[in-house]
Amino acid sequence: MDTQSVKQYYRKHRKAIIVAVSGLLYASGWTLGYVSAFDTASAAILILAAIVGGYDIAKTAYHEVTSRTLGIKTLVTLAAVGAIAIGSYWEAAAVVFLFALGSYLEGRTMRKTRNALEELLEMTPDTATVRRDGEQKEVPAREVEAGEIVIVKPGEKIPVDGDVVEGESAVNQAPVTGESAPVHKADGDEVYAGTINQEGSLEVRTTGSGTDTTLQRIIQRVEAAQEAQSKTESIIDRFAKYYTPGVIALSIGAYAVTQNAILSLTLLVIGCPGALVIGPPVSIVSAIGNAARNGVLMKGGEHLEQAGKIDLVAFDKTGTLTKGETTVADVEGFGVADDEVLELAAIAEKKSEHHLADAIVAAAQDRPTAAADGGTAAVRADTEPASTDAHSIPDPDDFDVVAGKGVIAHYEVSGEAGGSSDGSDGGWEIVVGNRKLLDERGIDIPDEVAEYVREREDRGETVVHIVRDEAVIGTIAMRDELREAAPGVIDQLQDAGIETVMLTGDNERVAAAVAREAGFTGLQERGGEAATQEVGIDDYRAELLPEDKQDVVEGLREDHTAAMVGDGINDAPSLATADVGIAMGAAGTDTAIETADMALMADDLERIPYAVKLSKATRWNIYENVGLAVLTVTVLLAGVLTSYVTLALGMLVHEASVLAVIANGMRLLRH
Amino acid sequence: MSETTQFRVMDFDCPSCASTVERALSKREGVDEVEVHYSTGRVEIEYDDSVADLATFEQTIENQGYTPQPA
Repeated sequence: MDTQSVKQYYRKHRKAIIVAVSGLLYASGWTLGYVSAFDTASAAILILAAIVGGYDIAKTAYHEVTSRTLGIKTLVTLAAVGAIAIGSYWEAAAVVFLFALGSYLEGRTMRKTRNALEELLEMTPDTATVRRDGEQKEVPAREVEAGEIVIVKPGEKIPVDGDVVEGESAVNQAPVTGESAPVHKADGDEVYAGTINQEGSLEVRTTGSGTDTTLQRIIQRVEAAQEAQSKTESIIDRFAKYYTPGVIALSIGAYAVTQNAILSLTLLVIGCPGALVIGPPVSIVSAIGNAARNGVLMKGGEHLEQAGKIDLVAFDKTGTLTKGETTVADVEGFGVADDEVLELAAIAEKKSEHHLADAIVAAAQDRPTAAADGGTAAVRADTEPASTDAHSIPDPDDFDVVAGKGVIAHYEVSGEAGGSSDGSDGGWEIVVGNRKLLDERGIDIPDEVAEYVREREDRGETVVHIVRDEAVIGTIAMRDELREAAPGVIDQLQDAGIETVMLTGDNERVAAAVAREAGFTGLQERGGEAATQEVGIDDYRAELLPEDKQDVVEGLREDHTAAMVGDGINDAPSLATADVGIAMGAAGTDTAIETADMALMADDLERIPYAVKLSKATRWNIYENVGLAVLTVTVLLAGVLTSYVTLALGMLVHEASVLAVIANGMRLLRH
Repeated sequence: MSETTQFRVMDFDCPSCASTVERALSKREGVDEVEVHYSTGRVEIEYDDSVADLATFEQTIENQGYTPQPA
C-alpha cells in the first residue's frame, strides 16, 4: 500500500476509524484507571480519546455557534469540555465516544434509507442500440434523440421512453408501475425506460431519453416528496430551535442552584433533541421510498400524514372501479333493423367525445360493411367508398351535446328515402340519450322499450335510446366490465373500518347493480334525486353530473377524512377537493402525477388498500417515534434529577433512543 | 453566468447538521441559493460560476465533516 491509497482509505473510512481509535483509547484508559499507579497515564489516554473522537464534533459545534444555530454537537462539546474541566476524564471520553459511535451508526442507517431509490435509478441502462443511417449503433442512452428507433433485445432493459413500432413482447414494468405481472406490448404501445423486455425483440420510437423519462420524473418527484416537510416535522423543527438554548439555560440554572457540575453537564447531554427531530423524517422518507417501489407516488409527508387519517374512500365508477372500456353489449331495434339503429346512433355520436359515443361508433365500425343490404339506407352515397375492414360512418350535419343526457343531431339523407316528418330541412333529427333527455323533449317511451331498458339496467348496463324524428326506434345497451380486483379491494377497505362510496353519472338502477357487484354494502332503497339525499355510508351516489361529484366530495368531507380515487384528468376537480386525491394509471400522464396527492402508476386498484394501510402505519410510526423520544427524555430527566443517571449513562440511553427511532422508522421500508 | 449544481451527502447524521452545511455554503462568495435536504442528502447550489467553483463547495462540505458525492 502506497501513501496515496492509505490516504484514500482514510478519507473514505474516516468516521469509522475515528470511532474505533477513540473507542480503543477509551477502553485502555478505563482499564488503566483500575490500577491506581497509572492514574496519570489513564487520565492522559482518556483525554486523548476525547480529543480524537471529539475533534470533528467540536469543529461542527464551532460552525454551529458561528452560524448561530445551537445544535446537538454544541451541547455534546460543552458537556465534554466541562467534564474535562472538572476532572471527570472518564465521563468526557465516554460521552464523546458514545456520541461519535451513535452518529456513525445514524449516518450509516440513514444512508440505507436514502438509498431506497438508488435501485430505481440503477434500472436504466447506460447504453442503447439505435438504428442510425441504416446501421445499428451502440450509443449512450441519454444521447438518444426523440424520434430515433431503439432496438431492445429479449432480456434487455428498455433504455428510453417511447412507442413500440415493431415487434411484440411481454414487458416487466415493475420498476415504473410496481405491477408484478408482465404487460403485453405490441405496435403502438407505450414503453418506459427502466422496464424489462422479457420475450421478443422490440423496436421503439423514442419519445424521451436521459432525464426526460417517466422513471426519472418519478424519482425527482419522490425526492421532492421526501424533502417536503410535514406538519409534524415543521412543528418539531420550530420547537427544536428554542429547545436547545432552553436546555443550556436549564443546565446553567441547575448549576446555579445545586452547584453540581456533573448534574448540569448531564442535563446538557440528555437534553439533546436527537430522537425527536430524527423520528418523523425517517418514517416519512422510508414510507415514501417503499411506496415508490410499489408504484405509488406520494406528494409529500404532509399528504402521507393526512392519508393516515382517511376513514372514507370515494371511487369514481367509470375507469376506476370498471375497466373503462365501454363496449356495446346489445343493440335492439323496435320496429327497425338492429343494424340501422346502430348506424344512426353512430352518425349522431360520431363527433362526440363521450366514452359511450366512442363505444357506439366503434361497434358500428366493427360491423361488416352492409352497404348492400337495404337496412342501411342511411348511408350517404357520396361518402368515401366503404372499406373492406372498417366501416366508415358519415358525419352528421350538426350535433349538440346535452351534458349528462345525450346528443341531438341532424342528418340529411341524400336522394330518395328518409325525409323528415316536418320536411323543413329534408333530414332526420336523431336523438341519442337517456330517459331524462327524452322526458325533457316530450318523447314517449313505449312500455315495451321501457321494460327492456329496465331489464338491461338491472344487469349494470347503461342504456341509451335512439330516437328518429320523435319516435323511439331502438336502444343500445353498453357494458363496462368491473375490474377483477374491485370486490376484493372494497372488502379490504371495509374490513379496515374504512367507508366506501361509489360516485357515478349512471342512473340509479345501473349504479345499484354495479355497486352490488363490486360489494358496496349497506345499499338502501331510494327514489330519484340520489345526489341530494342525506349522506349514507358504504353507499353509492348516482346520476351525478361531472360538477356534482365535486359537491358530493365536499359534502363527504364534513364528517370524514375523505379520499377520492379517479383517473386524474376528468376527475381532477374532485381529486383536488378531496382530503387526499388518488389518481390511477398515472404512468403515462404527467398532469395526474403533478396534481394528485397520491398517484398509482398502474391501473391497479389493489394499491389503494396498500397505500391507505401504509399511510396509517406511517402515522402510527411517527407517533411511536415522538412518543419514544419524549418518554426517553422524561425518564432521563427524572433519572438525572434523582442522581441515578450519570453523564455516560445519559449519553448511552440517548444514543440508543436515536438508533431505536431510526430502526423503527426503517420498518416502513419493508411494510 | 448563473449555474446550478447538485451533490449528494449520504452521511448526514442529524437534521441540524444539514442546516449547518446549508449555512456554510450560503456564506461562500458567489452563491445565490442553497438547499440542503437531510432526508435525501441532496444538496442543490445555485451560484455564479465566474466567482465560485465546485471545488470550493466540495471543500466546504468536507470541512463540515461530510462527504460530498456527485449527484
